[in-house]
Amino acid sequence: MRRFGDIVAVDGVDLAVQEGEIFGFLGPNGAGKSTTVRMLTTLLRPTGGRAVVAGFDVATHPAEVRKRIGVALQDAAIDPLMTGNELLDLQAVLYGIDRSRARLRAGELLERVGLTAAAHRRVGTYSGGMRRRLDLALALMHEPVVLFLDEPTTGLDPMSRLTLWEEVRYLNKELGTTVLLTTQYLEEADQLADRIAIIDNGRIVREGIPRELKAQVGAPTLLVAVPDEQRERAREVLVAFGDIRPTAEGTLGVGLRDGAEGIAMVVRSLDQAGIRLHRMELNEPSLDDVFAEATGHSLEGARSRLLEPAAGAPPTKGRRRRGGRK
Amino acid sequence: MTVALARQPIHEDLHQSAVRQTLALARRSVLGRLRQPAALAPSFVFPLFFAALSASSYSRVKNAPGFPKVDSFLQFGLAAAVMQGAFFGATSAAADLAVDIEQGFWERLMTSPVHRTSIVIGRLMSSLVVGALQATVFMGFLAALGVRVRSGPIGIVSIVVSASLVSLAMSTLMSTFAIKTGSPEVVQGMFPLVFVLMFLSSTFMPRELMHGWFRHVVDVNPISYLAEGMRGFVIERELSGWRFFEAIAIPSIGCVLALLLCLRALRRRLAQM
Repeated sequence: MRRFGDIVAVDGVDLAVQEGEIFGFLGPNGAGKSTTVRMLTTLLRPTGGRAVVAGFDVATHPAEVRKRIGVALQDAAIDPLMTGNELLDLQAVLYGIDRSRARLRAGELLERVGLTAAAHRRVGTYSGGMRRRLDLALALMHEPVVLFLDEPTTGLDPMSRLTLWEEVRYLNKELGTTVLLTTQYLEEADQLADRIAIIDNGRIVREGIPRELKAQVGAPTLLVAVPDEQRERAREVLVAFGDIRPTAEGTLGVGLRDGAEGIAMVVRSLDQAGIRLHRMELNEPSLDDVFAEATGHSLEGARSRLLEPAAGAPPTKGRRRRGGRK
Repeated sequence: MTVALARQPIHEDLHQSAVRQTLALARRSVLGRLRQPAALAPSFVFPLFFAALSASSYSRVKNAPGFPKVDSFLQFGLAAAVMQGAFFGATSAAADLAVDIEQGFWERLMTSPVHRTSIVIGRLMSSLVVGALQATVFMGFLAALGVRVRSGPIGIVSIVVSASLVSLAMSTLMSTFAIKTGSPEVVQGMFPLVFVLMFLSSTFMPRELMHGWFRHVVDVNPISYLAEGMRGFVIERELSGWRFFEAIAIPSIGCVLALLLCLRALRRRLAQM
């Protein structure tokens, strides 16, 4: 728990991250992600409760924790007047790595993050993506057991984001580094995390494997586009396969009770009813649906907008459809 | 909350050394200052400009009764230039520390196993180095204009050491505010106050020419003794213990006192985390 005066920023965060996994910590701005990470990385003392990182209590043994963690915080606060090489040298000294080992390690890391050619340049000349990659290299200099990445791709272009994702996967799969990743991007959590926790207003509201969490939300939505004059007839057919869900104008949506396996049956029934099918699309529940189901509001896009189920909305509260997402 | 157990006993062969850490951070702070020529230049240019202006405006003051015997007003003004440069440099060093806090580099350091005092002392080392550099440049420049340091090489070295200590003491004191506020603007905003304190001292004029309340203020202002000690090396042939006390011991004591204040501010900041 962490209080700032009367404000409780984090409360009731009870979770265990297993060795060797990528754990995604997902939530909107101000949900308590960064405060939690700051406590786990010894930057903030918890005002209540207990947190253990790499076997050490963050409040009673912060120095031991610091030796074992790598941290890349938001905004990659890197001295723009230093070169990549100089910062890696500095990092090595701060962690007590001897000179020869530090030189080898720096060379490996620079190559790994694709900054060998830029290593002699001042960081002030780096792009945002290059800074994040250097930040990652700095966090890995001492081969940490646990790596904390606080919104590592915020503000990055899609290419830089993909590069960073690849690097995180490599660290986890090849080197066995445990990664705790905070993000407000659903796709990032979906792509990278073995397990996720959703935090909202300082509390964990869901925790588990993304696939399972999505499955718990409910059936996938089948979007069907039919001619306007046949829409009512199509609705009568579709209602036999599940609940009718609100959709964008011009389409009908049905929550398939039997999942994707029910599609063939839907197609046959629509055909038998003489309905011309223009287009179909199956949308699996997304993490945003999980988030919406847990909190009553959406994480992506209109973050602050409460969802108002349209007429004929499904029984699941706060659902919002996201076309084309996994 | 629990986050992963150690997969193996790690980094048993790592040996953090406070001295190595301080030196590495000092290197960073010195490089940082030298790599900002636009920010560094005023601390070299303005004191020399001010010295030249004073020398042309007050050239005949040196003949006033009570004024020390000097070759030129420029010779008298050398210590003032060194003091100004030291105070300029001190402000920048403290502001750099505040920038670290404001922009997040401080947090990067805080998540590492670095000794906390190394962070502050390493940052302040640039004021020591730049203070020495400024004193050397000023003496070299004014020597080219015919200004002699009468006490010879020992006096020259003493001025350099004194300038470094003055700069370090002032930057340490100002770093207390940098640590408290984390605001470079607050630190930069303190410079005019420092400049006023210099004017309320005998930095620019000898005490013998001052009277009344102003003289009383100058008498109790420690900056007067720093300036007079440094100036003593310039305009006096004989080296006296009192001048060493003024120019070396007083700023050394200032460094210790300022460091105690600074570390207190650091402890408080860490306790608030």
